Amino acid sequence: MKTHILQCIGRLHIAPLLVLVFWCAGFAVASESAFIDTIKNQDGPFDNRSVAQVQPVTEKTVLVKEPYQGGSFRVLARKQDIERYKCSSCHTDKNVLVKKGQELTHGNVVISHGQEGDELGCIDCHHPEDRDFLEDKKGRKIDFDHSYQLCGQCHFRQKRDWLGGAHGKRLDYWAGDRVVYNCASCHDPHSPRFEKRFPATYSVPLN
Amino acid sequence: MSSEQKDTVTTISEDVMEKSSSRRSFIKGLSLAAAAGSAALATGCIPTANAASSEEMKLRWQEFFKKNYRLMNQKEKEDTVTRLERLAKIQDDMYVQVGHEAPIEKVLYGYAFNITRCEGFMECVTACVKENNLDRKTNTQYIRIFEMEPGKLDPSTGNGAYFHKVPVDDKFYMGTQCFHCENAPCTKACPTKATWKEPDGIVVVDYDWCIGCRYCQAACPYYGRRFNWGQAEVPKEEITTKQHYLGNRKRPKGKMEKCTFCIQRTRKGRLPACVEACPTGSRVFGNLLDPDSEIRYVLKHKKVFRMKDELGTEPKFWYFID
Repeated sequence: MKTHILQCIGRLHIAPLLVLVFWCAGFAVASESAFIDTIKNQDGPFDNRSVAQVQPVTEKTVLVKEPYQGGSFRVLARKQDIERYKCSSCHTDKNVLVKKGQELTHGNVVISHGQEGDELGCIDCHHPEDRDFLEDKKGRKIDFDHSYQLCGQCHFRQKRDWLGGAHGKRLDYWAGDRVVYNCASCHDPHSPRFEKRFPATYSVPLN
Repeated sequence: MSSEQKDTVTTISEDVMEKSSSRRSFIKGLSLAAAAGSAALATGCIPTANAASSEEMKLRWQEFFKKNYRLMNQKEKEDTVTRLERLAKIQDDMYVQVGHEAPIEKVLYGYAFNITRCEGFMECVTACVKENNLDRKTNTQYIRIFEMEPGKLDPSTGNGAYFHKVPVDDKFYMGTQCFHCENAPCTKACPTKATWKEPDGIVVVDYDWCIGCRYCQAACPYYGRRFNWGQAEVPKEEITTKQHYLGNRKRPKGKMEKCTFCIQRTRKGRLPACVEACPTGSRVFGNLLDPDSEIRYVLKHKKVFRMKDELGTEPKFWYFID
């Protein structure tokens, strides 16, 4: 008899508790969706040009030939940073002195791109005839400023992320017209993986 | 206090204590003592240096009695930043620009961190220290980078004190800082309302209203806040002179400070210093209310998670993997 009464009391106590638990859970879910909703239910796109203090970037840029979330954007130009561009100023039919061979054969370029032991060769990316350009596997001429078109044929996932903004980064401003770093701004195309090195600083334990 | 003033105070107190005092003489004595006391306050208590100029004293007096930043009107904000700029010139011989830029409308800042890409170079940390004029003596840092074992997603299991060549094979790196929660527990803990969430989502501290009780530090589940035990020591030539009232300006001793998403930069459309410095592009920053922004792309197309999501603090800082 005693246990029966206890069970009854137990049930009586559990019922409001359960109600409370479900109510709380419902509340938590509601508040979470509310935050995401405020983000997603924004009427119309944000005018990035409305931020007055944004200055145009001083670096040379080119308009990317592919769209970004429906709009256009710019990328850092590359050609002005290539030391001996234009390549065709040397790659001509004229003769070269043997003693200048060391300098002119790009002996400083070490290729560490592609599978180990089966690295890429020069003309896998460079145009075999017209040295002022790159060439992709379909035989299209690609400008050095638009090297993302070439890199993207193998690294298509990275390119997709780069177009969207999950790979690479913007220059200086989150607002204003979108300007991003080019593939070769960060990666050395001949050896694209970042080298191992010591970190810039260290941390002391908190407290 | 000079000996003359001391004598006055003693004689007054003797008068009050020993002579049979009428109400009139008591009040007379009291007012004299008060006058002597306020003279002591004016000369000795507030300015520490004897050589403090009268202009500095005046400015410090006005600074001492200013309002909480949220109660100030535009004029009062302008006045206080002018005073702070002038004080920086008088005290440290520095020309600084203290701003009080208001939040930009229709902007809510969000941050994403790519744990696949980060290689632990910690250049974000040095950039942050430099930008925010953090104390070099105690090596204060707002950002922590943890070297993590594969499969673990809780930074408390990682190594935050590594110093060797990075990246190490089979490890990944995870950064933490203030997550600028939408439902920030730290702001609720503050007894003086010295910390709050701005309309653009940045959680800020009014350094002059912070009493240094560190309740907010205890309330933060992410170890996002830092307490300064002393005036920050920064080499003069390394001080970032473009400052914000709620950001990287000179903080008094014994205050709470934290990442502000570089409020002095972001409110002018610039990227935070950590994002700008990251050599691997692991850090994505942008406007959550702009459907075309990079941060929205990451949230839409990537596998994202937040730290301690179950607490309901709604951090505006997502981790993602490629």
